[in-house]
Amino acid sequence: MMWKHFQLPTITEASSSSFPPSLSSPSHGPGVARSQLARAKCLRPTASDKLLSLVSEFRSLQEPVQRVKRLLDYAASIPPFEEGARRDSNRVRGCASQVWLDVGMDRQGRMRFRADSDSEITKGFCSCLIHMLDEAEPDEVMGVRAEDLRDVNVGIVVHSRVNTWQNVLVSMQSRTQELVTVAATADAILEESSC
Amino acid sequence: MRSTMDASKLLLAPLNLSPAPLALAATTRKPHSLRVHSTSSSSAAVSEAATPSSSGPLSLGRLTRPDFPILHQEVNGSKLVYLDNAATSQKPNSVVNALRDYYEGYNSNVHRGIHYLSARATDEYELARKKVATFINAEEFKEIVFTRNATEAINLVAYSWGLSNLKPQDEIILTVAEHHSAIVPWQIVAKKTGANLKFVTLGSDEVPDVGMLKEKISPRTKLIVVHHVSNVLASMLPIEEIAHWAHKVGAKLLVDACQSVPHMVVDVKDLNVDFLVASSHKMCGPTGIGFLYGKGELLATMPPFLGGGEMIADVFLDYSTYAEPPSRFEAGTPAIGEAIGLGAAIDYLSKIGMEKIHEYETELASYLYESLQSVPAVRIYGPKPSRGRAALCSFNVEDIHPTDIATFLDQQHGVAIRSGHHCAQPLHRHLGVNASARASLYFYNTKEDVDDFISALKDTIGFFNSFK
Repeated sequence: MMWKHFQLPTITEASSSSFPPSLSSPSHGPGVARSQLARAKCLRPTASDKLLSLVSEFRSLQEPVQRVKRLLDYAASIPPFEEGARRDSNRVRGCASQVWLDVGMDRQGRMRFRADSDSEITKGFCSCLIHMLDEAEPDEVMGVRAEDLRDVNVGIVVHSRVNTWQNVLVSMQSRTQELVTVAATADAILEESSC
Repeated sequence: MRSTMDASKLLLAPLNLSPAPLALAATTRKPHSLRVHSTSSSSAAVSEAATPSSSGPLSLGRLTRPDFPILHQEVNGSKLVYLDNAATSQKPNSVVNALRDYYEGYNSNVHRGIHYLSARATDEYELARKKVATFINAEEFKEIVFTRNATEAINLVAYSWGLSNLKPQDEIILTVAEHHSAIVPWQIVAKKTGANLKFVTLGSDEVPDVGMLKEKISPRTKLIVVHHVSNVLASMLPIEEIAHWAHKVGAKLLVDACQSVPHMVVDVKDLNVDFLVASSHKMCGPTGIGFLYGKGELLATMPPFLGGGEMIADVFLDYSTYAEPPSRFEAGTPAIGEAIGLGAAIDYLSKIGMEKIHEYETELASYLYESLQSVPAVRIYGPKPSRGRAALCSFNVEDIHPTDIATFLDQQHGVAIRSGHHCAQPLHRHLGVNASARASLYFYNTKEDVDDFISALKDTIGFFNSFK
């Protein structure tokens, strides 16, 4: 499926994830969910807005140490990560530190992300990405490029093989694609069975 | 002695060495019976130059730094302190000039062209091979095969010698401290041939247990693959002894010398190794070129690794005959400029003298270790300096991730160190950690660099502790 042609799948019980359980909205049926989604789209800042804001925030910090401190602030505010999600299948490979990423889709078809790392700075990177992409539409997640994060400008260059930005973002995107594919397949099965 | 450079000249001016002819490289080398731990020359001036001093203008580091323009820059607003030399070294002017001379003056393909430029490029390329052979005291230049890097050199042995010599139940002995590039090719070959890998763990001094290695050797042992100097532990293995044990049972010995060839005299005849690999970019040469040393009689029996141009004698539609080594193993157009650059790097190192480099680095190694040891909450891996250490320290600081340390050192202090597993995950697992930080020195580093690093590290630790 090409992302630019992606149509949000019908929101159904089958496509909604229990991830994270506390974040799942109560089910009011697909129609209600769609109207909620439309309203939410008008109100909430998009991933692109958040990205611009993030880049602007870091660009305003002149001294490298200020940027590191800001990342550590982000690390401190990262949403809690469930211990049970610290499993091998959630590991993001290729980072210089250990990173775990848990990914889900809520009932509105929006992506939910949680992450953790044994490195505080890496945790800060993860926190920025979560700040930007948690509750974003799948196509918003897929639309972000690692290059767009260059101006955050802390440490490792974008294309380094140990770059957390790159590896966590790519992992967020590939797992988003997987979940969307699963959701679309489930919708197709449901539609077929209802005919 | 290996280096006969006029010490008074060394003391007075930056080296600014231009590529020297092979004859110079050959005559400036000590007879190859030298041991790496031999003490320095009888020249008082040379000894003085090789003695580092925090304020001494005569240290080798201070003398050679002008030859490395890259070192004279600011990074993130601070003076660059480059301590990631085990990953790659910087290049002196003479190496950069050699590359430029090649591309500006005689860039051409080698071996088959009959025109002037091709003949010149061929001469220089083959001269570089002779320089490598002389540098490690190979019997003849044909024992040097140019590869893309040391990793490719190991793969060459694995796929060529390994696949044609190993069979089920044969054993390959390695240590847990090997670089991934010395483990993975043998895992692949073992799977294909049915051979088994046997790993030697560390002793109590955090050095691969040589006694255990000796015990593991049996008539089933066909190959031993070990590092010369560890890129994490900074320890050195007794290669000559291991070669002796290996040969007693008819096994071959492959040595990963990436961390020794750039830093000390390595003599393949004295060590009596069968194969030895090293990398240009860790010894002041360009990236994209490394080499395999193989005993002539062994290389002669080995089938090609890659097929293509350069490595053939005759090609027919249904079969080909192969060139003699080293051409047999150099399929396709080689890295010509890079090989010539490596030759220039060898000229540069030889002119300083590998004993002098080793002696200076040994002192820097102790200084680095002792300085780092004095920082609270720091755990350094590997042996004590009294046991012999290369000029690098892999370490961790309690409750601070090495990546955080490396990032802050870079961002706030312009200090370049490495963090991660340094391509040695099994070793890190054995040490019970996921990653470590590593500061690694070369002869152009000084005690001031170490002081700057330690001061920056203390500030880094204070910074992160203030967030707890």
